[in-house]
Amino acid sequence: MERFGEGYLEERKLVKRWSGPIPALVSLVLTLGIFYLSWWIFQDPRGVMRMYTPYVGYMYCRWWLIMMIWMVYIFNYWPFKRKWLENTHPLLKGAILTTISAVILITLIKGFFEGLLGNYGLAYFNPEQLEKLPGVTSFFAIEYSALAILMFAAIASWLSPAWVVAFEEAPWQKLKQPAKGFSILMLTFFLSMVVYFVTMHPHMGILYHPWQYFTSIAPPYWEQFADTVSGNFHISWIMCCTVVVWLVETIWERYPFNLIKNDWARRFACFFGIIGIALAMHFFLYFAQELTWGEAIRGTRRAFAPDWRWLHVGEMAIFFLVPALFVTFYCNNWPKKYSMPVNVLIRTVVTLIGAIALYIVYYKTSHMFLGTQKGFSHPQQFPMIPMIWLVNIWLVHHWFMDNWPGWKMVQKTAEEIDADHEAHQAAINDVRWTPRFGAGLGAGVAMGVLFYFITVWALPSVYAAVNIIPGK
Amino acid sequence: MSDNMKRRDFLKGAATGVGVGLLGAMGLYSYSSVRKGHFPTTERKMTDIGTCRSVKVTNITETSWFDNGVLMGDIKGAGGLLVNQYDYNWPPFGNGKGLGKGSYEEGIEKIKHLLPNRLDEAWEIIEGNSVHPENAGGYAALVEVEEMSGNKRKFLLDVGWSYKWCDECFKREGIDTMLENKEIEALFFSHEHFDHFWGLPVALKYDPDITIYIPEGFYPEGLQYIKDCGHTGKLITVKNGLNPVIPGMASYVFAIPIICRVYGEQSLYFNVADKGLVSVTGCCHQGIIRFAETAYNEIKYENDNCHGIYGGLHISPFDDWDPKYDDLVISLGDYGFERIGCNHCTGVLCAKKFIAAGYPVVEGTAKFRSKDKAYLGNGDTITFG
Repeated sequence: MERFGEGYLEERKLVKRWSGPIPALVSLVLTLGIFYLSWWIFQDPRGVMRMYTPYVGYMYCRWWLIMMIWMVYIFNYWPFKRKWLENTHPLLKGAILTTISAVILITLIKGFFEGLLGNYGLAYFNPEQLEKLPGVTSFFAIEYSALAILMFAAIASWLSPAWVVAFEEAPWQKLKQPAKGFSILMLTFFLSMVVYFVTMHPHMGILYHPWQYFTSIAPPYWEQFADTVSGNFHISWIMCCTVVVWLVETIWERYPFNLIKNDWARRFACFFGIIGIALAMHFFLYFAQELTWGEAIRGTRRAFAPDWRWLHVGEMAIFFLVPALFVTFYCNNWPKKYSMPVNVLIRTVVTLIGAIALYIVYYKTSHMFLGTQKGFSHPQQFPMIPMIWLVNIWLVHHWFMDNWPGWKMVQKTAEEIDADHEAHQAAINDVRWTPRFGAGLGAGVAMGVLFYFITVWALPSVYAAVNIIPGK
Repeated sequence: MSDNMKRRDFLKGAATGVGVGLLGAMGLYSYSSVRKGHFPTTERKMTDIGTCRSVKVTNITETSWFDNGVLMGDIKGAGGLLVNQYDYNWPPFGNGKGLGKGSYEEGIEKIKHLLPNRLDEAWEIIEGNSVHPENAGGYAALVEVEEMSGNKRKFLLDVGWSYKWCDECFKREGIDTMLENKEIEALFFSHEHFDHFWGLPVALKYDPDITIYIPEGFYPEGLQYIKDCGHTGKLITVKNGLNPVIPGMASYVFAIPIICRVYGEQSLYFNVADKGLVSVTGCCHQGIIRFAETAYNEIKYENDNCHGIYGGLHISPFDDWDPKYDDLVISLGDYGFERIGCNHCTGVLCAKKFIAAGYPVVEGTAKFRSKDKAYLGNGDTITFG
């Protein structure tokens, strides 16, 4: 039977070429170098193509992420065969797969969104259609349509991996490629479209004067709850979903959902658990801003506006993704020597510290090298763009290039694969209900709640002491 | 079960519980109404900036550019809204290399020797080297403050962009004579943007010695430009926060990032006797509601009343729109402003939405290339008090 990339990521063994942290450091330096070079070529406002207008660059950046998720997570590298994946030099493999991802990306944006949807369905997906409206300049026509397309991407970048991570590809897990890939793609694209219409379409419907009452719900139903008519309220929780999917998949190893024995119960718990955790992040990160900057004021601009605060929740969430992926891709998901819950907790703490450090470093220094400006609330500046751009480069490096040159890819033997599965199952079985576990759980919940309130109490003074942007 | 096993089980439970407890609290508490108990109660500072009898604003020019499509085409072609304004190759810093390839140093080199007195010659050179010089207009306003004693004092807020257009406007409103006669005691820059700041030589041509107030955050190019324009007077960099100027007048600097790589904005507060707070802004990138809220927290004003607004409110400067702008249209009524004279980057669409919402927008005459009567246009005046 012809094999494609099913299980390739789990069944490859990445062997360090050098001892200790050197491979991780080399990878970090190399990927940051590629990041900066490609940022200059494609995104930087001072660079070559200057796509960071901002929405055009953001749209391509966001959809490129999804292209790679589709190719690797949904289609398992199809139509490339396993032998090709195993035997091709990482540089060549990376170049070919990246090129393919870019071709699909451009086809999707130009062909599907702008060409098909924009010309035959919803005008706002196509800049040329928007330009026909009185008063809409070419620049904003492009920005509006890029905004709509990237909003779709925000949803798809949560739902596409969520079907694999939470629903474990069910009910098509036994299908061969490409039937499995197309089934998951169709379903997640359909779901993305449904979510898009009930979250983002009303936002687009009030972009034009008068509000488009006939085609979208105006004012939007979330207005009173979110304190804004802006769709940024949804961007916020959807971004959190995007991040939580990957936290669950990487540093959490799908814990604690993997404890549930019943397949469908586990799948639904994981899918809705991701949404629940994302909502918790969504509300807390908004609260954190209220604690540090003061209450939002509806109708104002920048840092005090509810719409920007919701957007900034999504921006803060993305800072968690970067260290989490680094721990998984380049630190072999350190640590692994304790029980699964303890490993997960340690990785989460490391990720949290990394996210906070990255946030501070980004806002303190990024304007010195990204062609952006200092300050939190520039209306055309989104840290999601450089962060996701870096994540994209890491995905190319980790998924397409086997972490070359810091690591060498060796295919695991059948025995090693079996041993891995057994060890993973043993780690799950190791967590079971006992009176002591119950006592620990109760104590842990109390500690978690206590930690939350200590954070709430300390956050204003800690933030004031850090002084991320002097003079703010 | 051994003690070690028991300890491990406890730890597993505790590690899981920490996550459950933390996420549960985050989700259930963070957006509940109870959270408001954590917000600090900000004491109003009630800083006394004094009172004045009235404020009259003359709109010298509010048309920063004449064709939105042309300006946005330039912005699009140069790489978007984050491009450094000195790189667009707009006048007066044209170097002849085309859109997006400009630089302050190369541009100023061509005209520096002609500033500030030989502006017609300078503009000829600029026209040959810059992108769309005919589209440049500018924003500038004359602010006349009548003190309680009846004494009147004059200030300039910004000086526009195009030397040619701004000189015409200055002459039309008699600003040239006022400057020559030293009737205008200071020039306040709202921010470093091209359409508010780059017309500086026009003011210096008539009074190179005028005192200039700039907000903290000007870039090296902007600071150098003030020197290169031939300024010989006092330059005062206003720190973030409140800066009382004369009785009844104060400026306030907000540390905010703005498009085209500009940072910081200075707006003006007035406390008009028996009327209340009057806000005069260049672009108000911080948002008029933030400006009003800041006044509420910082200063004392008559009757605790928001009376009037003049200037750009930076809602839809490029005829663009965003649902967050609707948040402002919906919320502005809560502040009770009694006279709104808006123009420039407020956007005609926004002004019309204000009128449709029943706000007291003072209409203009749509003269001298101002687009619409919904605006307080070029040559129009508004008096508060």
